[in-house]
Amino acid sequence: MEKAELLSVQNLSVALSGKHILQDVSFTLNEGDWLMLIGPNGAGKSTLINAVSQAIPYSGNIRILGKDSKQMKSRSLARAIGVLNQNHYVGYGFTVEEVIRLGLYSHREGFFSLRAPSKSAENSAFGKAKYTSFDPDQAVFDAAGKTGLTELLSHSILTLSGGELQRTFLAQLFVQDPQILILDEPANHLDLIYQQQIFSLVKEWQSRPDRAVLSVVHDLSLAKKYGSRALLLRNGQTAALGTVSEVMSPELLESVYSMDVYAWMQDLYGRWSR
Amino acid sequence: MKNKNTATHGFGPKEYLLCAAATLAVFLLCVCLGSVNLPLADTLAAFRDILTGTVPEETTLAYRILQPVRLPRILCASLSGAALSLCGACMQGLLKNPLADGSTLGVSAGASLGAICSIAFGFSVPGLLFSGTMVSAVIAAFISLAIILSFAYRLDASLSTNTIILIGIVYSMLVSAMSNLVITFAGDRVKTITFWNMGSLQGTSYPNAAALAICLLVCGGILLLTAEELNAFSIGEENARSIGVNVRAVRLRVLICVSILIGVCVSIGGSISFVGLITPHLVRPLTGPNHKRLLPASLFGGAIFLLLADLCARTILAPRELPIGVVTSIVGSILFVHIFYTGRKQR
Amino acid sequence: MKKATRLLALLLSLAMTAGLMAGCATPSASKDGEKASNEVENTAVTFTDMTGREITLDAPADRIVALTASDCEILYALGAGDKLVGRGEYCDYPAEVFEVPSVQSGYETNIEQIIELKPDVLVMATMAQTVEQVEQLENAGIKVVVSDAQNIEGVYTAINMLGTLTGKTAEATTIVDSMKKTFDEVSAKADEESAGSIYFEVSPLQYGLWTAGKGTFMDEIANMLGLKNAFADVEGWAEISEEQVIERAPDYILTITMYFGEGPTPEEEILSRKGWENIPAVKNQKILNLQNNELSRPAPRLADAARMLYDLIHGTAAEEDKAA
Repeated sequence: MEKAELLSVQNLSVALSGKHILQDVSFTLNEGDWLMLIGPNGAGKSTLINAVSQAIPYSGNIRILGKDSKQMKSRSLARAIGVLNQNHYVGYGFTVEEVIRLGLYSHREGFFSLRAPSKSAENSAFGKAKYTSFDPDQAVFDAAGKTGLTELLSHSILTLSGGELQRTFLAQLFVQDPQILILDEPANHLDLIYQQQIFSLVKEWQSRPDRAVLSVVHDLSLAKKYGSRALLLRNGQTAALGTVSEVMSPELLESVYSMDVYAWMQDLYGRWSR
Repeated sequence: MKNKNTATHGFGPKEYLLCAAATLAVFLLCVCLGSVNLPLADTLAAFRDILTGTVPEETTLAYRILQPVRLPRILCASLSGAALSLCGACMQGLLKNPLADGSTLGVSAGASLGAICSIAFGFSVPGLLFSGTMVSAVIAAFISLAIILSFAYRLDASLSTNTIILIGIVYSMLVSAMSNLVITFAGDRVKTITFWNMGSLQGTSYPNAAALAICLLVCGGILLLTAEELNAFSIGEENARSIGVNVRAVRLRVLICVSILIGVCVSIGGSISFVGLITPHLVRPLTGPNHKRLLPASLFGGAIFLLLADLCARTILAPRELPIGVVTSIVGSILFVHIFYTGRKQR
Repeated sequence: MKKATRLLALLLSLAMTAGLMAGCATPSASKDGEKASNEVENTAVTFTDMTGREITLDAPADRIVALTASDCEILYALGAGDKLVGRGEYCDYPAEVFEVPSVQSGYETNIEQIIELKPDVLVMATMAQTVEQVEQLENAGIKVVVSDAQNIEGVYTAINMLGTLTGKTAEATTIVDSMKKTFDEVSAKADEESAGSIYFEVSPLQYGLWTAGKGTFMDEIANMLGLKNAFADVEGWAEISEEQVIERAPDYILTITMYFGEGPTPEEEILSRKGWENIPAVKNQKILNLQNNELSRPAPRLADAARMLYDLIHGTAAEEDKAA
């Protein structure tokens, strides 16, 4: 069966002050995909993510759920794409619940309407039928439960550990419930246990229909374990695009990273099958 | 301090009523106290007559002081206090910076320059005493905003917090220098400008209060309805974008409302510093950072703060007046140090 | 913060003026006048300036820079305006003074500008000049003379001192005598009746009401005319409450607000103020607007101001009475 195309990127280029950071990158993201963006530092991974989430100017064509992303309103964009950043510099002592609740923002329209128009109306093309009767309080409570934050709901985010904070923002994304989740090195600064928590939560979320994940990871073993497809970038250009096993061949990786990645991984983890 | 259950909810009717009652109490206190000591009975009688619109044939001194002088001034004090504090709370949220304020962004300085130019070059609209200064203060606040924003966009397309604050501070310095330049070249008119620049609510009138009330109703209303977006901004701009906030539009909306409010306040009361900075810090321990509660609380808190500051300015050295900016700066800086000190200790 | 500094500067300057008043000993000043006139013959000039410094010149000064508006006025009144080679930027009377090159004065006094003008003498007030600045000037061969009158007696001293300085002692005596005569005339009626109370307005309501209290020229002249300053309980220039003016209900109002030719005149503006209708001065339209700093500068024109105030109180008819 043909999988629905959620995101299509055509000839994406980004230039900052005359310097090309991304050149002619094209790929698509289908339902059920988890596309891993890999490549050395400075390859343009974060720039690609920023362009897709419309945070920076770019040239090229990005279609999200079949629509031209430049024409999309902020709220409908947020119902399609949600971003989990690697760092959160929190300044004020909002409670965990307040942060999670902000995920409901895109479900409302304008100043006054408090309840979302049924999400299914917009996304019916993909046969999506989530909350038939949407209860925002229930959504917040469910997301907190999934991420293990029920006990912490009334705590100030200033008192949380890095892992708890990352889970708070993940819970916010679950409430927001976009169709495409973008992760920018979501577990970069976290202990192994938190890495594992975050990735398995995302995996579980992604396993439901009409969803896809696009993520930047540094740790190639995480990419190998969770990714279904991979995009390897080198100096802002596509070095390889395909399934994880195709892209993460020892030869390709060695040419991009200029080192024997597999040997290094074997050193690190002991066993790393070719 | 932290109220767990109400933490996620906005200002209910109960809270509004409570704050309104407190503000009203302070307002009444300010009606009764002033530079001239009036008999309490006379004062209250005059106040009642003014409210009911019945003007007695034979007016007492209380009536003659209350109706044309004290009442419009108190109205302006409370409305400017509310407006400035609301602006401060919004800037602090928008820029995710507890030190942000209309003044750190350069909007106040810009508005001052506009007002000073209008005084120095005698630009005025006939019929309304203050309209010339008011219009040029608001326009100058707008222009300041446009300059700051376009400069910030050019430097940093994402308009990050630090860029804006930095440009705001540099801009304030530049504009203050320009103000001094205008004062230097204004020659004959220099005296009046110097006095005005110190900030004073003396001589404010009912039309001033009406202008403030209308702006507060419109711009303040818009700002109150932007509370959720401000919550997102104060958690983080990237997060705000991720959840679907139209970052640029909201920022523009907030900055425009803020510059209108600050422009009008500056044209009426001169530059009254510290109110916008301090009030949100005073109410935040009670309301938490959620703007749905912080904004209305700042609104009332600011009214109370400036009413009391103006009361001090009017009475402490009677018959003399203290410039209200001096009172707010002194009280504000002491409170600020106190808040930061206790805040550090708790952490 | 800025406001606080401003206030501090204001308070400081008030404190300084108060201190100066105490320090300025009038008897010694009149003695200097005599001493100086004796020495005019052998062209050397010696006198004490108003901070008590002994100053000797080989000859009456020929090139003078005067920083304060009042000293410029006195020099012109003495007929020594042609000796002025530089003036402070705020000097604006008489009109001829504008032909003289202006230098920055006050807090931004520009020493280089002054030295470039090659004056024999610099006349200035005490405020805002540091010891270092005075040293610099003296090293450049410029005598620094401080003129800082804080009351009418001080104005006489300043006139006599500048007369000595320019070799115009006779003119100085004439001016002082004429001033004294005018003051005697206008105070003649003061003994007979109490003329009522007066409120001086330095800054209009729009920018906060400022008045001149005790220890100002305005206060001194009011007393001379038998008027009671409505804000005699306030020291120096001060911002006061509008409520207080209404309560104190002065019989006369004198405003020194400037009029720039647009909008209501200062008198009209005061007459139109809400809540002021019952103040006697407003009811009887006894409001005088002196726009040209006559009343705020320690210069000969104080006498003119006193005369105008006298006319406001007694009407111009009173003058005819006296003449008859």
